[in-house]
Amino acid sequence: MQKNNDDIFNLILASTVHDMKNSLGMLGQSLKSIFEHIDPAAIDTKANNLCGIVQYETSRVNNSLMQLLAIYKLENEQLPFNPSYYNLYDFLDEQRLLHLPLLEAKNIDCEIDCDEDIEGVFDESLLGTVLENIIGNAIRYTKNKIAIRCNQNDMLEIEIADDGSGYPEQMIKLEGNYIHGINQSSGSTGLGLFFAQKIAEMHKHKDQNGSIELANGGALNGGRFIIKLP
Amino acid sequence: MSKYADKKVLIVEDFTDFARAVGIMLRNIGIPYSDTVTSGEAAIQACREKKYDIILSDYNLGPQKDGQQVLEELITFNLIKPSCVFIMITAEKAAAMVMGAIEYQPDSYLTKPFNNQTLKLRLDRAIEKKLTLNPIIRKLDKNSWQEAYKLCDEVIESSPKYRSSCLQLKLDALRGGKQLDKAFKLVTQLADERVTPWILKCLGNIHYQRGELKKAENTFIEMTENFPMVIEGYDLLANVQHKLEKPVDAQKTLQKAVERSPKPLKRQKHLGQLAEQNNDYDTMTHAYRQAVRYGENSAFSGAEEYVKLAKSIGHILKGNTNEDRKKLIAEAKSLFNQIEQKFKQDPCAQFRGVVAHADFSAIIKDQKSTDKYKEIAPSLFEKVEEHIGANESIEIAQSLKNVGLSQLAECVIEEAVEQYFDDPAFIKQASKITSNKHLIKNAKKADKLNNKAVKFFKSGDFVSAIELFIEASEIAPNNVNIALNHAQALLKRFQKKQENPQDLYNSEDILAEITRLPLTDPRYSRYSELLRLNQLMLQKVE
Repeated sequence: MQKNNDDIFNLILASTVHDMKNSLGMLGQSLKSIFEHIDPAAIDTKANNLCGIVQYETSRVNNSLMQLLAIYKLENEQLPFNPSYYNLYDFLDEQRLLHLPLLEAKNIDCEIDCDEDIEGVFDESLLGTVLENIIGNAIRYTKNKIAIRCNQNDMLEIEIADDGSGYPEQMIKLEGNYIHGINQSSGSTGLGLFFAQKIAEMHKHKDQNGSIELANGGALNGGRFIIKLP
Repeated sequence: MSKYADKKVLIVEDFTDFARAVGIMLRNIGIPYSDTVTSGEAAIQACREKKYDIILSDYNLGPQKDGQQVLEELITFNLIKPSCVFIMITAEKAAAMVMGAIEYQPDSYLTKPFNNQTLKLRLDRAIEKKLTLNPIIRKLDKNSWQEAYKLCDEVIESSPKYRSSCLQLKLDALRGGKQLDKAFKLVTQLADERVTPWILKCLGNIHYQRGELKKAENTFIEMTENFPMVIEGYDLLANVQHKLEKPVDAQKTLQKAVERSPKPLKRQKHLGQLAEQNNDYDTMTHAYRQAVRYGENSAFSGAEEYVKLAKSIGHILKGNTNEDRKKLIAEAKSLFNQIEQKFKQDPCAQFRGVVAHADFSAIIKDQKSTDKYKEIAPSLFEKVEEHIGANESIEIAQSLKNVGLSQLAECVIEEAVEQYFDDPAFIKQASKITSNKHLIKNAKKADKLNNKAVKFFKSGDFVSAIELFIEASEIAPNNVNIALNHAQALLKRFQKKQENPQDLYNSEDILAEITRLPLTDPRYSRYSELLRLNQLMLQKVE
């Protein structure tokens, strides 16, 4: 009977997610249509910014939904993990494009520094969810620049850096215990980091495990998120 | 003008508002017109009428066919051209991948919600990839292994970003050309670089192809343990375990697979088959019930799962069950009804259904029905034109014996033995049913002659091979394998010497005798290839 209830719950979960995602898609598209109906002269910076906020919050809801779902599945040993080879530049470029409307609305410069021929081994949809969240946060906290950099030596390393005021010291100190960073009163991004850590750790090769790292400084002198995959 | 302006695009989406939104996005990226359908059935129909360049289909299409089933049918029934790009729109890509059958993968996935830029990027990439890899895939489809292999290297050189895809195709080419040592070397080299699900799949398949079944089993066990949500691993493992005659292990393996991904028909049918072998009728019933259920919207549903479900219900009714007997009987009767309705055009299905119905009626002691279906069975057998499969023949003959139609059972077995004498598992079962000892003895004799002839054929001695094939075909004149071998040997002899066109006429006659081979028979492609070669050579002579 327990098993049956799980099945029903899974079914409800799947169809609810499907529904919510349709709604989120419609929300974005309707907003676009509204803008198309307005006289372009009437769209000022303020309207553009507000539009950006709606887009940002939409993608945040979507991203949280995906993380929540993934963590639920992880707990129930149902999270699909299917690593394969992917072209890294294409992958990162796509992550950037997901945020393009918002980047443009907020006038943030986002550059990718990655060799076009590098292939990495990772689970595309899981790493995509991780980066979507991190880039989303970078957009929120940066002043006007984001840099996505990657290189592959012993490990595949992806860094997302911004020129904002950086990660709070107590967050950097968590070093791998990001579950403790989830704090209701501060509305902290703990879930995103906790998720990122989990996903990084799923990536294994020989006796190496993936990991994440937070730091401040670097070339942009802001926050730096680094994910390393073996 | 956009490079996409003249592309024919189909949107498959049951949620019309969303379909409209996708249409607007397409306009924004330079595709002014697109067709929209709201169900999988309508998508299939649309593809019969028009050849699309791009199909954007939602995975979740409401109660009927899902996007994955649409893709499977479009490919199987040749309704899309090879250059068509199929993009699956999903709420969750990973979930769709778990649920789908692995053999048919879309060119790309698009996760909701998405914007113009992502849509355009996905289209650009999918089209570019298809254009780059299609020449290799065409060579593979034509079994031109050498050329495919060479092309892979060229593409890796010119487009390094497709390296891993090319390596996969390269391994396909090596395995196709039976260069297993070379394939093994390449795959171990890659595994050292990184162990991914497809590397393990490939390694296991190479072991399997080399006949190292234990090693294949271990590799697939490693695959399912390391990547428990890559469902293909369980299917592969169960196949090997089945082959290793470990049906109990194979059943356990498949049960894990259907827990995670119950929809693929083939998987449920394989599970049902194993459960039957293991006399586990509860599992058998459950598996075939699911097969009937998920087959409802599928073009691949067949009489098999209906008959098997009715049979397993019969098994349950034979024992002491706590289940509601009346309900089970009603379920079985409805299945027989459905066979009659759904497979009207298939005489073999009708014959099989009626025999099973008679058998079932005897189990529930319904004498009237038993007599009724016993009476019509022989006339339905007369109408069967195609060869009945090995397993089906055993099942039918067993049921016929159960209801006392022993003579008809012998006829069915006789035909099947002539056809499948080279399948030892079948012969073992057949010899339990038939009382005609002569039959099995002859089958073994034909098998021996055929094997001996094949040895001569392989050594290039076509003259001796042909002599033995003639002898074998006298014992088993309707056997398709012998006929095909015989024809092939004649064609080879002609090719070698180019002097006696009589060989070509003889092989033409032999092939013309093969009239009962169903299109679905695995030997059909060999048959049509030989027919084609034969015609070609004849044209040159004449």
